[in-house]
Amino acid sequence: MRTEAIDPPGISWHRVSPKYVTVRLVQWAIENLITVVVLTLPLVFVLLGWWRWPPLWLAITVPAVTLVLAVWRLLLIPRQVRAIGYAERDDDLLVRGGIFFQRTMTVPYGRMQYVDIGVGPVERGLGLCTLKLHTASPGTNASIPGLPAAEGARLREQLAARGEARLAGL
Amino acid sequence: MTANVPEAGAPSAVPVAPDGEWLRVHPASPFVRGWVALAAIGFFFGRDFFERLLQGRPVFEQDFAGRAPWLVAGGGIVLVVTVLGFILTWYFTKYQISEGYVRVNSGFLFRQQRQARLDRVQAIDIVQPLLARIFGLAELKFEVADAGESAVKLAYLRMDVARQLRATILARAAGMVPDPARPQEAAPEAPEHPVLSVPPSRLIGSLLLSEQSFFVVVGGIASVILSAVTENRGFFFYLIPAVLGLAASYWGSFNKGYNFTAAISPDGIRLRYGLLDTQAQTLPPGRVQALKVAQSPLWRIFGWYRIQVNVAGYGAAGSNGETASRTTLLPVGKLPEVMSMLALVLPDPGTPEPGRIFAAGLSGLDSDGGFVTTPLRARFLAPLGWRRNGFATTDSALLIRSGRWWRELVVVPHQRTQSMALHQGPLARRFRVADLVLHTTAGPVSPRLTQAGLDEARSLFDAQSARARLARKRQISEQWLATVVPAPVVAPVVTPVVVPTQTPLPQQSPQQEGPQRG
Repeated sequence: MRTEAIDPPGISWHRVSPKYVTVRLVQWAIENLITVVVLTLPLVFVLLGWWRWPPLWLAITVPAVTLVLAVWRLLLIPRQVRAIGYAERDDDLLVRGGIFFQRTMTVPYGRMQYVDIGVGPVERGLGLCTLKLHTASPGTNASIPGLPAAEGARLREQLAARGEARLAGL
Repeated sequence: MTANVPEAGAPSAVPVAPDGEWLRVHPASPFVRGWVALAAIGFFFGRDFFERLLQGRPVFEQDFAGRAPWLVAGGGIVLVVTVLGFILTWYFTKYQISEGYVRVNSGFLFRQQRQARLDRVQAIDIVQPLLARIFGLAELKFEVADAGESAVKLAYLRMDVARQLRATILARAAGMVPDPARPQEAAPEAPEHPVLSVPPSRLIGSLLLSEQSFFVVVGGIASVILSAVTENRGFFFYLIPAVLGLAASYWGSFNKGYNFTAAISPDGIRLRYGLLDTQAQTLPPGRVQALKVAQSPLWRIFGWYRIQVNVAGYGAAGSNGETASRTTLLPVGKLPEVMSMLALVLPDPGTPEPGRIFAAGLSGLDSDGGFVTTPLRARFLAPLGWRRNGFATTDSALLIRSGRWWRELVVVPHQRTQSMALHQGPLARRFRVADLVLHTTAGPVSPRLTQAGLDEARSLFDAQSARARLARKRQISEQWLATVVPAPVVAPVVTPVVVPTQTPLPQQSPQQEGPQRG
């Protein structure tokens, strides 16, 4: 995996499962196709002559632009999934993500309050899970999606054990 | 007074129950809390009577004699039910302090038991709303690190009882143990030394010079011009609600900030404020998660600053004005006062010359005081702020300053850093800069170092992780006295005297009522 400029040097990142792309595709389909279909309805009505407003150009432009944006987001999904990475260091967990707006986060083991594992319907079908880390700060929005279930369970136990050993107060 | 406090010999000393005894709040408290309900009942049944009286009609109609028994009976039943509810609420609300926990049982239909660990106390407040103040009562609020509601609320206690309880809780939380020979003896209230107070004139000045006032003036001028142009006299009527709202807002700020005093005691920082409703906060040492000193352009005229803090129990300041005032460490103060507050929050600044560094953080530019600013190449991203945006580190805290006009200095102690993240967008990548975000507990301060040079940000990211790790290792106990004084007197939290049997806490069962007198 390519190391970006803001990543600490010398880290070997663990990638999430490539199957996570499917999960994102399903999410994308639910969100975007419905939007596009709904926005296309005025065009249909205008073409059928049921509606006089909006003008034809507006009725075409709005769904067209939405469609283009949706396709753009669709094309980004595989790269976005490839950009998600995590690394266990001695004292903290690194989580990175994003292509355009990149983020590299470090969560010290001693600061973890609890660890969640969530499994959605599509994820369950693919044998994946999402791991979520919580500290005392609401700003810690650290989740690792698309982990294989076994890896997720291993990571959770590992984090719990390390958190126990290094637990600090607030 | 609660019946289970016996008459003491010394009139001044408040007797303290032995460890583990269940106590009740003041019997008058439901009436002080629920006076609105009583007033509503009075209004409902008394309105008709008063209306007749005012209109000069006969108070009693001809057929009144027939209706009167029903009216009286109805009113009586509602009143009795309300008062009975009050009494039951009072009877079933009990609290206890023992073995490092404070426990509160409440409710009679839906019972609730709650316990909170004393050494997890984040802050402890004594609040006196106006009515409670008239009766000499006070509410005690005990915060743990859960940004929701207060962990423990005891409303209402007699003022001296509340203060005594606060002293006891703080002493236990600090790691002091009751003298086994004299368990009845109350923990002495920690002596305090006043540090600063805000005179009312400055408070009024700060309100007049707020951004809100600026928009009031601008809005007033705009509406005068508008009404002159459109020749619409009725225009002003629309402003009446706005004026009322503004007056309420100013009054709220004045009422909350009036007579603000800060003091230091071994228990932590004590803040007191309020005109009609008074509040006394105690922040034990090391409970401040992050701190922000801010100065608006209007305040620069007089050199005023405001200090806000994140404390784990207080939560985020939303629309709730109470949280906003609780998270304010100094509503308006000059530079020396800011410095003394900083010294209270950070007793160990971690630098030989804290004055110079903090002053540079408050008003400095470029590399004054060892600050590292946004590199020259990224000045187009922040044409005004790039000479201000920067950070400096001491051995105990990270300082982030920002803003050329709206000046801000954020201080995060190393041992309070939760997690960190580097952010970089496409434009920032083009200029080789990055943002560093520090995550702290919910509150008004959100530390973010903007547009630091990439290499500086990355090395800070690494160094800060290491520093936070070291600071965490150094801080071993939540009991602040135990960390400061490693004497054997303080240590025996684990001696058999204090933890006699670790009983399975029979008091926790729901049907527990306690063999209390009264």
